[in-house]
Amino acid sequence: MSIKLTIMDEMARVAREHGKTLAPLNDDVALLDSGLDSLGLAVLVARLEDRLGLDPFTTSDDVQFPVTVGDFVKAYEHGGH
Amino acid sequence: MSEKPHNVLVTGASRGLGLAIARRLSAAGYRVIAVARSKSKPLTEAIAEAEQSGRGPMHFAPFDLGKIEAIPDLVKNLRKEFGPLYGLVNNAAVGHDGALAMMHNSRIEELVRLNTLSPIVLTKYVVRAMMAEGAGRIVNVASIIGFTGYSGLAAYAATKAAMLGFTRSLAREVGRLGINVNAVAPGFLDTEMTHGLAGEQRQRVIRRSALRRLADVDDVANAVEFLLGDKARSISGTVLTVDAGTTA
Ligand SMILES: NC(=O)c1ccc[n+]([C@@H]2O[C@H](COP(=O)([O-])OP(=O)(O)OC[C@H]3O[C@@H](n4cnc5c(N)ncnc54)[C@H](OP(=O)(O)O)[C@@H]3O)[C@@H](O)[C@H]2O)c1
Repeated sequence: MSIKLTIMDEMARVAREHGKTLAPLNDDVALLDSGLDSLGLAVLVARLEDRLGLDPFTTSDDVQFPVTVGDFVKAYEHGGH
Repeated sequence: MSEKPHNVLVTGASRGLGLAIARRLSAAGYRVIAVARSKSKPLTEAIAEAEQSGRGPMHFAPFDLGKIEAIPDLVKNLRKEFGPLYGLVNNAAVGHDGALAMMHNSRIEELVRLNTLSPIVLTKYVVRAMMAEGAGRIVNVASIIGFTGYSGLAAYAATKAAMLGFTRSLAREVGRLGINVNAVAPGFLDTEMTHGLAGEQRQRVIRRSALRRLADVDDVANAVEFLLGDKARSISGTVLTVDAGTTA
């Protein structure tokens, strides 16, 4: 599974577990409009660390958490290099 | 306890209170991961004892908790080696004392780094793992000094009070993920940290306590065991004071 698909898959799973409805996602959707709240996003990052072995938000010097779904996916794709 | 022991990380487990907690939890069947810079003789003995007794195994994980930037890798490696972490006991701390006006800035910084910054960052990475599991217990070791105050311990008291605020807010943040966060507030304990406290001061603490004695490390270890156990499943965001009635 590609990094992007893994992320989408995990987002759907977290939304389901938290009783949230996931918005139709594309790269420009703001993360906080995705349907996951900040706690949901934290769970997502934790799960992705397990699945992808990556935590781009600790390794990167960028203090800002990505704003859009596209930026979020990119952070993982770049972290994978 | 179930066949597969729960992993509990105990920081500062090479002596004093942390060692007593590690011993108690091992006796209760947990698998204890003991973090400290050095493997003391008593910890080595406790590990051997745990092995012989066939109760919860004990492992030593050497680490300097002042190295904040290395904490993410520590947690990652421990999870790789031991699997999911069920419990975290933030016990390691330093107890520098002295008049604030004369305390070297590097000492103040060390207090804040080891007693507050380090446990917060460690908790950040451990709680993530707990979030992924949807279960976990965190116990922060504070101190009655965090709410009573003691002359000569202003900076130390600030770090311990910080852990109380941290405990309450984090309990709210992660509660709905099945993670309980609590604190214990020990009174004066006879450990290396307090060996400088002279006879008269020690006697005064004893006289002022409701029970006319000091609580000991095993009393506090029992409280920690309770907070990690099933019987405390509905307790979160609280502070359990274990001080033989010093603050009663
Ligand atoms: N003693 C008291 O009267 C009292 C009262 C209330 C609360 N408390 C609290 O109880 C807790 C334990 O205190 P204690 O009296 O047992 O202290 P202690 O005897 O001085 O033990 C401190 C422990 O922390 C570890 N530690 C210190 N610096 C470390 C570092 N940089 N990295 C990793 N580990 C480190 C030490 O191991 P290494 O040196 O091997 O690293 C040791 O295992 C503390 O949170 C303290 O604030 C104590």
